[in-house]
Amino acid sequence: MRNVGIVGIGHIKFGKLEFELVDIMAWTALEAMKDAGIENGIDQVFVSNMGGGIINRQCGIASALVSNLNLEPAMAELVENGPASGSSAVKLGYMAIASGLANVVLVTGGETMRSLNGWQATDFVATLLHPEAEYNYGLTLPAFAGMFTRLYMEKYGLTEQHLAMISVKNHDNAALNPFAHVRLPVTLEAIYGNPDANVINPYMAEPLRIYDMCPVSDGAASLILCNMDIANRFRKKPIRIAGIGQATDTHCVHNRKDPLELTAVKGASEKAYKMAGIGPKEISFAELHDAFSILEVAESEEIGLFERGKAKNAIELGETRVTGRIPINSSGGLKAKGHPVGATGVSQIHELVKQLRREAEPGRQVKEPNYGLAINFGGHAEEN
Amino acid sequence: MLKKIDKNVYASKCPKCGHLHYPAPMRCHECKERRDPSKTVFADFEKVPLRGTCKLLTFTRVYALPDGYDLKYMNFGLVEFENGIRAAGQIMTDDLKLGMPLIAKTGVVKEVIGKDIYGLQFYPCE
Repeated sequence: MRNVGIVGIGHIKFGKLEFELVDIMAWTALEAMKDAGIENGIDQVFVSNMGGGIINRQCGIASALVSNLNLEPAMAELVENGPASGSSAVKLGYMAIASGLANVVLVTGGETMRSLNGWQATDFVATLLHPEAEYNYGLTLPAFAGMFTRLYMEKYGLTEQHLAMISVKNHDNAALNPFAHVRLPVTLEAIYGNPDANVINPYMAEPLRIYDMCPVSDGAASLILCNMDIANRFRKKPIRIAGIGQATDTHCVHNRKDPLELTAVKGASEKAYKMAGIGPKEISFAELHDAFSILEVAESEEIGLFERGKAKNAIELGETRVTGRIPINSSGGLKAKGHPVGATGVSQIHELVKQLRREAEPGRQVKEPNYGLAINFGGHAEEN
Repeated sequence: MLKKIDKNVYASKCPKCGHLHYPAPMRCHECKERRDPSKTVFADFEKVPLRGTCKLLTFTRVYALPDGYDLKYMNFGLVEFENGIRAAGQIMTDDLKLGMPLIAKTGVVKEVIGKDIYGLQFYPCE
């Protein structure tokens, strides 16, 4: 297999965007091309998006993006893998180059969800669930996250305060990230442990509160991947994809032997570590899929950054802050940077590249980054 | 001819090895025996009604409900039946504790225009 690097990155500020889906994708693609120092020469385009057909009534988005950017006759495909669509598109881009099918690949992820109200957005994401055994009951992703959290708290002694501390950390990081949806720092005192906290931070899916949940966002992000043998043709030095892995788990959460194990997260990370020839101790920082704050805790343990049940100690010690031993979600994470589902996985890799280039904004640049790891998660860890 | 609405929820039993599944897959997850709902090529799996006592594994109360539920909140849970089958469903009491016994019944879990959808609802044991 050929080695694959990332030579261009592009991003748009997540939030409520008053532009068409393909236009925001094109904006970030042009930013990535500018970053790489190219105007054409792209062999393949992979677009990640989950709701184009449902929300935007638009299919064939990859070809539409190619045409928008005048990149014909580039090969183009849409990748839909729920909220893990972004990392799936990056994986396919990697495979296209590693196999020799392409030398230069554009990966663009995008979603426009703010045209939906909250109930509709919740319902849209819930279409990931099993239609008869889960979705028909009114179950949603927040419901499963709430049930997971209750079990985790019972077994490992995690508290609502720990979760609130994660939210505070990620809001602090997002406040320094120009692409983040929510750039407002929040104090622990405001959201936890006082009578007003129940008003400011009410329960949404007990024991999870609103500050444990990501916002509904519009947004897009893009990457230029290339064959490392030709990486010197581009403006920026390549960041090599050392390892990449993916795994799935049962569609219905109730069919898992241990409902507290995210076996797909564990399996995907083990594959990536093996390919890269490293282990968790070599990881300098991580972008984890914290659609709910509990997931940052559980994923950090599944990928071996902490022993099971011990992530709460790292939170207490501030080890996961940007200045800590193992920074997590320096971008602000899904919690505060935002979660336009099809864009999220691409945005996470954008953050890894930015940190590894040492181009992050003052105050959120990780010290001495060597290896960065991202976990992009779909459903309640059905796909990763 | 009128057809009575089947309000039950079923697990499916593999005719070859007896393994129980919920929901029904198209092949047995234990012995890989194929299933044919039309019964034209292979046998269908035996339907085993999901009902009776079960244990509450975990639960949540959700305040932000999806489209179609005009309620302040709903309780949901994961349960395990005595035959080992697990399922998710609506819990019809506010007095909840991990591990508590519940009784599974079927009722209307969702109303779509012109159609009631039946599913599992869990009640406290009397």
